[in-house]
Amino acid sequence: MSLREVEIEKDVFEVAIDFTDLSLERGEVELTLGYSDGEIPVHFAAMIDEAILQLPKRCEIRAGYRVLDMEKPAGRHDGLIVGGKFFAMDKIVAGQLKKASKAALFVCTIGPDMENWSRHLLKHGDPALGYIADVTASVAAETVTNVLHDHIAERMRDRGLNVTNRYSPGYCNWSVSEQHLLFSMFPENFCGVTLSESALMSPIKSVSGVIGVGEKVEWKDYICDRCGVKDCTYRATRLPKGQVKIE
Amino acid sequence: MEELVGKIGECIERGKVNKSSPYPKDMQGQDGTDELTRQALDSGVGPEEILQACNAGMKRIGDRFSRNEVFVPELLMAAKAMNAVMAHLKPYFQTGTVKAKGRFVIGTVAGDLHDIGKNLVAMVIEGNGWEVVDLGVDVKSAKFLDAIRQGPECTVGLSALLTTTMANMSKTVQEIKTQFPSIRVIVGGAPLTQRAADQMGADGYAPNPQGAVAFLNAGRQK
Repeated sequence: MSLREVEIEKDVFEVAIDFTDLSLERGEVELTLGYSDGEIPVHFAAMIDEAILQLPKRCEIRAGYRVLDMEKPAGRHDGLIVGGKFFAMDKIVAGQLKKASKAALFVCTIGPDMENWSRHLLKHGDPALGYIADVTASVAAETVTNVLHDHIAERMRDRGLNVTNRYSPGYCNWSVSEQHLLFSMFPENFCGVTLSESALMSPIKSVSGVIGVGEKVEWKDYICDRCGVKDCTYRATRLPKGQVKIE
Repeated sequence: MEELVGKIGECIERGKVNKSSPYPKDMQGQDGTDELTRQALDSGVGPEEILQACNAGMKRIGDRFSRNEVFVPELLMAAKAMNAVMAHLKPYFQTGTVKAKGRFVIGTVAGDLHDIGKNLVAMVIEGNGWEVVDLGVDVKSAKFLDAIRQGPECTVGLSALLTTTMANMSKTVQEIKTQFPSIRVIVGGAPLTQRAADQMGADGYAPNPQGAVAFLNAGRQK
């Protein structure tokens, strides 16, 4: 799948992602809600279907990325230098990216309408559907990020480079406050996503982060089993089955 | 009558709101908490007895949630079934015939706009018989303090989803404790841990709505 992209500044690209580019399965939402295969009550499965049906008309997808040089500072293991700025990262993230010579910083969003709909349902008598709509929206935002990730990988392959898995401030022990530094690398209001003083993205259903790029890097699975954050949103879907323990 | 009250508790646990509700599938076409509560009241069952059955039903679904046998959607359906009961019992609360277990003031702390988790906790706590005052999101310390002044016999719940707003949470806990040392404060949200709660001086930490209910109920017994 080849997506159209527009270079809005040098090495800053906005990528056109259409809802038809996404492949969102009900099973992913079920897993995120906590249900194993086939365990979900039929009523809630129907609610997921209803929420998925709302996505095409309620999602305003925008996505983009910027490619910058990246290096590991000599003698330090607590972060990486991206575009001349030092990003403080836990060794989980820095270790996964240390072989990269470039970083693709990215942001994408599905817009505010799904979260508004969810909020409305929660407040007006249909809390289960409201909650399921919220989780479905989160899964949709993650699916958009998958598409953007694949696109970046394809573009980097054109340059003879490989990509790593992706990492976001707020996860893998990488402080969410680093969002400010990450967003300072983008043009203002890039992809329509803004950041609050407390590093909260608006629209909320947005994803930002970094992908390592280089000749020597390779894609590796997440190492959730080494992370201490037991109630992480991603833990249920990224740990192999049997290792998941919702606490 | 005992059977009728027992059925209300069962409908709470199963999330059966009313006859037209399609959930749960194996109870389609049966009366839910809405119809059964009306029938019970009309038959002379006291509101306190109905509430006891509801609390037992909420406890059972809460225990199953704690054991990962059910998940948030089931808990929300139970809360919705409970709200249907509460709609019938509202006049008894207004006249003072029955009393809420207590007053719970909840809000997402300053700088944080996440409200799903906070709303879930509020719904489940309300469903467990507490009066809930929801202050919303991005709530500054002064607003929590005002709410406490309006009803000092309360417990306060603070929610945060970002590590960056945990600092604001800590500040709010300290301000509440400085002005109202006897007010019990419970905190929750993705970045929170028991250790973080202890460090900021909160009285409790709950990783889920049921934990918050347990904290509140335990506080009543002290």
